[in-house]
Amino acid sequence: MPNKLIDIKNISKSFDDNLVLDDLNLYIRENEFLTLLGPSGCGKTTLLRILGGFEKPDQGRILFQGKDITDLAPNKRQLNTVFQKYALFTHMTIAENIAFGLKIKKKSKSYIQDKIRYALKLVNLDGFENRYPDSLSGGQQQRIAIARAIVNEPKVLLLDEPLGALDLKLRQDMQYELIRLKNELGITFIYVTHDQEEALTMSDTIVVMNQGYIQQIGTPEDIYNEPQNAFVADFIGESNILPAIMVQDKLVQILGTNFPCVDTGFGKNEPVDAVIRPEDIDLVKPEDGIMEGVVTHLIFKGVHYEMEVTAHNFEWLVHSTDMFPVGTKVGIKVDPFDIQIMKKPESEDEEAAAADE
Amino acid sequence: MNKRKLLAGPYLFWSVSFIIIPLFMVIYYGLTNDNGDFTLKNLAAMATPENLKALGLSLLLSVISTTVCLLLAYPLAMILTNMKVGKSSFIVLMFILPMWVNFLLRTLAWQNLLENNGVINTLLRFLNLPTIDIINTPYAIVLGMVYDFLPFMVLPIYNVLSKIDQNVISAARDLGANSFQTFLKIIFPLSLPGVISGITMVFVPSLTTFVISDLLGGSKVLLIGNVIDQTFTQGSDWHTGSGLSLVLTIFIVASMILVAKYDKEGKGAAF
Amino acid sequence: MKKTLQKIYLALILILLYAPILTLVVLSFNASKTRSKWGGFTGEWYVALFQNESIMNALYTTLIIAFLSALFATILGTMAAIGLQATKKKLRSVFLTIANIPMLNAEIVTGISLMLLFLAFRMTLGFTTILLAHITFNIPYVMLSVLPKLKQTDIHTYEAAQDLGASPLYAFFKVVFPDILPGVLSGFLMAFTMSLDDFIITHFTKGPGVDTLSTKIYSEVRKGIKPEMYALSTLMFVTVLFLLVLINTAPPKKLTKEERQKQRKAVRISRTIFRKVVPAMLVIVIVAGGFFYNSKQNFANGSNRVIVYNWGEYLDPEAITMFEEETGIDVVYEEYETNEIMYPKVESGAIAYDVICPSDYMIQRMIDNDLLAKINFDNIPNIKNIGQTYMEQSRQFDANNEYSVPYCWGTVGILYNKKMVKEPIESWSVLWDEDYKDSILMQDSVRDAFGVTLKYLGYSLNSTDRDELYEAQELLIEQKPLVQAYVIDQVRDKMINNEAAIGVIYSGEAIYCQQENPDLEYVIPKEGSNIWIDSWVIPKNAQHKENAEKFINFLCRPDIALMNFEFITYSTPNTAARELIEDPAIRNSRIAFPDASELEGCETFKFLGDKNDRIYNELWRQVKSK
Repeated sequence: MPNKLIDIKNISKSFDDNLVLDDLNLYIRENEFLTLLGPSGCGKTTLLRILGGFEKPDQGRILFQGKDITDLAPNKRQLNTVFQKYALFTHMTIAENIAFGLKIKKKSKSYIQDKIRYALKLVNLDGFENRYPDSLSGGQQQRIAIARAIVNEPKVLLLDEPLGALDLKLRQDMQYELIRLKNELGITFIYVTHDQEEALTMSDTIVVMNQGYIQQIGTPEDIYNEPQNAFVADFIGESNILPAIMVQDKLVQILGTNFPCVDTGFGKNEPVDAVIRPEDIDLVKPEDGIMEGVVTHLIFKGVHYEMEVTAHNFEWLVHSTDMFPVGTKVGIKVDPFDIQIMKKPESEDEEAAAADE
Repeated sequence: MNKRKLLAGPYLFWSVSFIIIPLFMVIYYGLTNDNGDFTLKNLAAMATPENLKALGLSLLLSVISTTVCLLLAYPLAMILTNMKVGKSSFIVLMFILPMWVNFLLRTLAWQNLLENNGVINTLLRFLNLPTIDIINTPYAIVLGMVYDFLPFMVLPIYNVLSKIDQNVISAARDLGANSFQTFLKIIFPLSLPGVISGITMVFVPSLTTFVISDLLGGSKVLLIGNVIDQTFTQGSDWHTGSGLSLVLTIFIVASMILVAKYDKEGKGAAF
Repeated sequence: MKKTLQKIYLALILILLYAPILTLVVLSFNASKTRSKWGGFTGEWYVALFQNESIMNALYTTLIIAFLSALFATILGTMAAIGLQATKKKLRSVFLTIANIPMLNAEIVTGISLMLLFLAFRMTLGFTTILLAHITFNIPYVMLSVLPKLKQTDIHTYEAAQDLGASPLYAFFKVVFPDILPGVLSGFLMAFTMSLDDFIITHFTKGPGVDTLSTKIYSEVRKGIKPEMYALSTLMFVTVLFLLVLINTAPPKKLTKEERQKQRKAVRISRTIFRKVVPAMLVIVIVAGGFFYNSKQNFANGSNRVIVYNWGEYLDPEAITMFEEETGIDVVYEEYETNEIMYPKVESGAIAYDVICPSDYMIQRMIDNDLLAKINFDNIPNIKNIGQTYMEQSRQFDANNEYSVPYCWGTVGILYNKKMVKEPIESWSVLWDEDYKDSILMQDSVRDAFGVTLKYLGYSLNSTDRDELYEAQELLIEQKPLVQAYVIDQVRDKMINNEAAIGVIYSGEAIYCQQENPDLEYVIPKEGSNIWIDSWVIPKNAQHKENAEKFINFLCRPDIALMNFEFITYSTPNTAARELIEDPAIRNSRIAFPDASELEGCETFKFLGDKNDRIYNELWRQVKSK
């Protein structure tokens, strides 16, 4: 594992009595694609702005390669930011935009020319040197914003919801583009988004945040398959979150019916939450299932059908390539390792704090 | 959709009647004599030494007062912007509020303040400080211009500054610019449209005023506005007056073109 | 540190902006009528303000013009903005350039161009022309604030509304209009403010009897502003300030959610009050005031009126009221500052005045140019009260006593401050004395300035000899560095306040000054001076000649003449009135009624012909621009 590049220690920040980050700890490794994921207002952008140097934390330190940079001005940091709405300088040409940081550093003319050409090639916008930002599409402006940041050869690139303003197709293209860029440049990306699909596609590490706390840190697979709490489960992908009771090790009672599972180590008859992904539910004949239900909704989604099955007064969300018409009686079957058991939080605060270890 | 164009009709009529035709009347009067014959004499009237001097002095004073206004207003607008208060906040409105007191009275009040036995000098004398002796001089006129037209400089600059995306400034800092470089390369260029409309809105009225020079100059200082006003209202010489107005208009247009050259993208933003 | 510096900077600029306003507020409580002297605290001007019809009329005219011009400009400007949005880009930019002309062009040129237009189309300058002019310069401000809002408005919402079955008009008012409303409102407010503050354009497009606050103030400037005006501006300022404070009472921070909600509700209510109730009340007040004013105007618009054009503060307003009550004739009253300002207005015929009060030489000029009507003296029996000497003197400019009735007379002399001038002044030469540099006030009118100088040189003040005139001009140029200011009536205030040591002044003003400041002394220099008569005349194009004669006859009544003498302190030729003066000191004052020996070297101004007039004007302008 490569070294820690950035170490975030006990960071707290509030705006007007509103606590946005609460004693947050996190480290970022070299060459990592790390995504801060969470709903708006969860503190992810604030964290990014603290890293960029645009906000000062109330408490805590930021270490960069072991050195404290908490009080360093933004222009002295080896980080560059790609802003949400690109923040291009509208009174300058594309070339002038890209050259901005280099001119400040008093690089030679030929060096700057080379860099501009290189950066534009990298983002597939050769020949745009003398255009003005206003004449570019959103996607193009986005790529210029990236080019403008990377010519400075930062150790870390901070990206604040850079694809938020783009349409779906463009967003997907840009996702691959960003991965390619990261691999070519070999630098660390810290990426902020509220789009879980984006996070799952691109990241090496995802940090799920809510209400100023880190909920879970892990690889995309970890986060998706083993959410540590209901918030993460709900936020990442679609899922059925069911109140349940742990009867004993490897047996959970969901809606009054016992399901075999693989989890151990919970107390006897402890109330828990059970998470079952919609694609993990098998619909079978009523007599073959563990639980019996009726299909109440049916939508064709292309790769699969989306169905709602009412069973034991709960509406189960099911994705399946098999189609069952509305009104069909079906049986519900789940493989034991597809049931994810989570501790039930006692309060909201604890829910958040629990994941902050 | 096309019917919408018709809505501009009444204004088209209005602007032809009350802007275009009147201007042509000025041109007509300016280019004819009493008998209605064509002449350039009225335009040439500007070339007399007295009128040239008045024009020169007007240009000088208006350039000075525009510069002073800009130097005072820019930091002010920046401070107001940085206070991050709304556009209609009390502190911003405080700078517009004086406009609701008649400007003649406000200007006249400066007489009281500046006179030899006026408020300021009485105060200075009381403090044993040297008195200021600027009433009835061009300095008092510049002061009056700056005072009267300052809000017209502050507002457009403030409006443009407060519209600059905070992220753009952050971006410049992020790319390594210190605060001074950020101001020089980003904030100031982006605020140029506001600066230009501010300059226009201060320069033109300063260049053509005859009231301020009357009130604070003790009628000793003759500006081009006074010359034109007197030609019309006292000399009753409409032809010469129109001729002078024409030349003055040409001057204004010329200086506007000069200023607009720096406004590359032509984005004026008065209010 | 930086924050403190910023605050100091803000404070300094605010002081700069508000110092004059504070001065006005202080002056509004000043018991002394003179601007430059503190006479103790009083609230009487606030009472007097509401009784001062001419100021209240000016206020209502200002408000109505501001309101109507802003309203029309808002309607026209908004329509135009919407229409322009739909036109092609090229056409639109041409249009916008034209629209911006009134805003970018010099106000003086805009004002002049409109004046030329109105006069060319024989429109009577007055309320309507001011309104038209104000609408014209207001429209660009409205368009400027509506256009950006229109650009932000999604045109599809308008189409969507039509798609849902709304008529274009309905769709506009329900969908587009609410979106651009903030722009429309701020455009209206801007137009209102601009109209309120305008002076220059109004100055050129106004007619007799109509004054906005600006023009009223400007005509008062030379005389000294009436303290009621300070009271009015204080009231206006306080009102606006109050409104601002009202909308800006923000809820205090750190409240519980519930309290905050309550607060918000309160703010919402006060917002509604401000946004809806207060403007509504404002409109009601303005409209009500407008009706009040209009009813008066309509009354005055009837045929039974007389249009008087007189020097500033040259008639007791009380006398006008009495005249109106006694005869039922309405007086439309207009003032001017100098003969030279009055003359072109009468000559152009744009305004048909009924009775005017020019000075001797100007009367001669008007007779020469056939501008005056012969007065029917059968209608003026009170002419008998006018002293025979004055009728004789009038023959210098009105050979057969056919055109004029003497009203006031006096001399031009030097007023000096005994404490600042060592020896009694005898000669005009003191005006060129280096010792009094920056302490000399000179008359800002051609004939007076040249008259004084010509007399000093020993020439006639009616000289047309080029060499003599050049010699006088030389001397005036030489004098310029010594002059503190060229003034007309301000000489009064400045002398009272010890601002200057020496001033050239009319004898009538001297009496008033002496009453206010006993250190002042008046003298007619030994070289001789100007003796002048101001007389009532009736222009040829007068519409109400008989009313004018009734008016003149009324002013010749001894009691009325006395009233006016006491009000304006200028010598009256009305011998019957002089006998009525109670105070013997004034009745026999040497300033007001000098004896023949003092007047020996004095001359009356004569009209020198248009050509010589032009030469005088040209020479004077050269002096002024040196």
